[in-house]
Amino acid sequence: MNTRAAFGLGPRTAPDAPASVECDACAVVAPVRTSVRGPNRWLRAAAGLLLPVGFLVAVEVLVRAGLIEARFLPAPSELAQTLAELARGGELAAHIGISVARVLAGFVIGSMLALLLGALVGLNRRAEALLDPTLQALRAIPSLAWVPLLLLWLGIDELPKITLIAIGAFFPVYLGITSGIRDVDRKLVEVGAMAGLGRIAQVRRIFLPASLPALMTGLRGGLGLAWMFLVAAELIASTRGLGYLLSDGRETSRADVVLASIVLLALLGKLGDSVLQTIERRALAWRDTHDQRAA
Amino acid sequence: MKRRELLKGAVGAVLAAGLAPAHGATLDELRLDYAYYSPLSLVLKRFGWLEESLKADGTRVKWVLSQGSNRALEYLGSNSIDLGSSAGLAALLSKANGNPIRTVYVGSRPEWTGLLVGRDSPIRSVAELRGKKVAATKGTDPYLFLLRSLREFKVPKGEVEIVHLQHPDGRAALEQGKVDAWAGLDPHMAASELDAGSRFLYRNVGYNTYNFLSAREAFLAEQPAVVGKVIAAYEKARLWTLGHVDEAARILADEAKVSVPVALLQVKLRTDFSNPLPSAEHVNALRAAAPILREEALVKPGTDLDRTVTALIDTNFARPLIAASAKAG
Amino acid sequence: MSHVFARQPQAGSAASFGSTPDDAALRPADSDVADAARAGVGAVRPIATHAVELADAGPVLFEADAPRGKGAVGAALLGKLGALRDGSARRATLAALKPWIVPVLLIIVWQAAAQSGWLSSRVLPAPLAVVVAAWELAWSGELWRHVGVSTLRALSGFAVGGGIGLALGLLTGSLRSAETLLDTSIQMVRNIPPLALIPLVILWFGIDEGAKLFLVSLGVFFPIYANTFHGIRSVDPQLIEMARSYGLSRWALYREVILPGALPSMLVGVRYSLGLMWVILIVAETISAQAGIGYMTMNAREFLQTDVVLVGILLYALLGKLADLIARGLERRLLRWNPSYRSA
Repeated sequence: MNTRAAFGLGPRTAPDAPASVECDACAVVAPVRTSVRGPNRWLRAAAGLLLPVGFLVAVEVLVRAGLIEARFLPAPSELAQTLAELARGGELAAHIGISVARVLAGFVIGSMLALLLGALVGLNRRAEALLDPTLQALRAIPSLAWVPLLLLWLGIDELPKITLIAIGAFFPVYLGITSGIRDVDRKLVEVGAMAGLGRIAQVRRIFLPASLPALMTGLRGGLGLAWMFLVAAELIASTRGLGYLLSDGRETSRADVVLASIVLLALLGKLGDSVLQTIERRALAWRDTHDQRAA
Repeated sequence: MKRRELLKGAVGAVLAAGLAPAHGATLDELRLDYAYYSPLSLVLKRFGWLEESLKADGTRVKWVLSQGSNRALEYLGSNSIDLGSSAGLAALLSKANGNPIRTVYVGSRPEWTGLLVGRDSPIRSVAELRGKKVAATKGTDPYLFLLRSLREFKVPKGEVEIVHLQHPDGRAALEQGKVDAWAGLDPHMAASELDAGSRFLYRNVGYNTYNFLSAREAFLAEQPAVVGKVIAAYEKARLWTLGHVDEAARILADEAKVSVPVALLQVKLRTDFSNPLPSAEHVNALRAAAPILREEALVKPGTDLDRTVTALIDTNFARPLIAASAKAG
Repeated sequence: MSHVFARQPQAGSAASFGSTPDDAALRPADSDVADAARAGVGAVRPIATHAVELADAGPVLFEADAPRGKGAVGAALLGKLGALRDGSARRATLAALKPWIVPVLLIIVWQAAAQSGWLSSRVLPAPLAVVVAAWELAWSGELWRHVGVSTLRALSGFAVGGGIGLALGLLTGSLRSAETLLDTSIQMVRNIPPLALIPLVILWFGIDEGAKLFLVSLGVFFPIYANTFHGIRSVDPQLIEMARSYGLSRWALYREVILPGALPSMLVGVRYSLGLMWVILIVAETISAQAGIGYMTMNAREFLQTDVVLVGILLYALLGKLADLIARGLERRLLRWNPSYRSA
């Protein structure tokens, strides 16, 4: 079914690359950017919120009416109350603060390491032959399995937690940069060689920009996984943090505390992703692809 | 969204299952827990007396392991088991936060928790725990014991780093020097004492709040006869244990994979099986312990804990089932 | 330089994203091997989105379809064995062995450390102990029982989550109104880490299979949904126009143009879900169970049998790998007709 050629249509340019990106085990997906601008965009955003808001209202009504037991699904108003109480004591700020700090630290360390190793492996064939298979094997180890091992080796302080988060962030970024470098168009590299660019200049002016989309994708995936690993790290042997709050609610039969921490985790995760999305859009604004319609 | 509807449907189903008036209808499967901190449950499970007594009704028995009061109460609250063993104060906490359970039997009065430090630890008193790390499992008697001890010795909770680890992990953390103290639970606590030489930093029998056997309220209402049979079976196990303490310890050692001396320490020296009927004694003990729940903000502000205690403990249900000879004052 | 351009893959295929660009440019000497490898293994390249490239670099120890993978080099080796002189064959063998140097060294060091007593068995059991434990479990049949239960759980979750994901993806991909209404909500739920959901899942579903099924379904749902949605949306509008101008009915349009066009992306989603399925299963199996790899591992932890714990971890990793290989094989078979999948 080589329809394109049959109709004389030219080669297909890359479809929206960052629009729907996956990295295994993290499934980070950005919604496809809509082509609607202006007031219509706000209308569509509002329409998107219809379902969630409707759900919240429905739950509130059902819980008040007693049709849903509050201990299974607390009403949104109760949730808000719990959040307010936690915030009043200053506890909430402390929990959020330490969780965010852990994620940032782990994410930065993990992605820096991944950038280094990924660039090395991508650009140097020998390094790749030596390191890549081992790293791929390590990647196959399920995330949760690292937790007891790290606790055993590194104690129960911040070190194992940040290490765990760094491990989580490492692999998507590593994959992003290695695949980005691998997929740099050979023609571009040849042009660079023909133009007499040295190796460093090649890296800076060809490899880096060309692999940037894949790198950004990897970074977003890494941040997503970092949050997931944060929860894993904080559920065991922790004294503060949102994961700790979550387990606190669980062990004392407080579904409202459990829900409150889940909501906060989701919000913070989304926030981080949005920040990266904005950076991605800015950094890749120079690209001239089929998908570039966003401002 | 389909997923939400699925969820609401599930919640509704759980609700319906709870409210369904199935009085006296034959039960397909009885689900209850067994735990290493509840030697009677292990004895009962080993000899199969409950399975025997329910066989005539065609009811199967499913045993689920509870790693601690926190799990047992979670399983009760999520309708995963019908009867569960937990510490008294933990049950009160859970009930105060909405868990619809009712205590029908007291398995034992153990001294199953205390604060342990490592063999070579320089710490000599609870006051020295300031700025140190203590491992404890949230939602269990050891955790509440820790809180009460801290309060007694006027150490603000904020000045101690309480690390949430399940019981076996807490023990490992203490013995590896990762934490400075551990609010332990038997048999792990006894094992740490005997095998690793850990010593007590603080003990207080009064801060141990009994081994409660609680049933889901809905289950109690639907299947009172079955609950009665469970209690009768537990009674049988209790009387047997009173007469065969050493063998009971061997069963515990076998199930929990601890050595026999450890099991003997728990069962023979630190557990009192003589008073199974929930009574004023237990009510008063819980009333005395309740303030810690409010002070540590473990329950929502404004909860009437006294009323919760009365609502929790059923002092009448088991009365006809308790062997007269074993009943204490 | 001209030979380099002559060997260039044809324009129009996904080759510009699929080829390994540094072959000719960086190391002309190895291009022989690379070419042979590519031809021998028949590299299948999914549609060139970065999504998919990341997928290619997926959880593979043996990158069977990358020209530089161990398997590929092995194939190249076999292919060239007859034609090459001794010198080249030796070079090729060396190249084949290189990926194994680091892992083997690590294992040797590990075994030595464990045997000398420097590494306590409580911290990390010796590799031999792990092998022995695995053998014993396999022999007694326990291993198969647990693997079977876990696999059943995983596949049921995959069926449910995948089915719903497919349905919703088709819906939101085809109807703008559905997208507006549903997509935001779905994205919101996606941001919740599955591990954080465990307390709620236990509360709502208890500790039986329902809870585990729910978690696995939820995890599997998102990649399939997202990639189905993306696949449908990125079907070439010119093809659709052309089909419409031929008077294809709505249904036929769907069957002949849109679904096949979306198929590559959907299969990528399937591959991700299969990988994710195992990760979520691990999370789900921390909920009390009576059988399964998670149960086996947690039980072993209770009794400090670290070798069994490691067997469990390795099982999870192996099964995840297997799922990925199956998914790739599926892709290769189902997308044979697609020109951008033919090897460069």
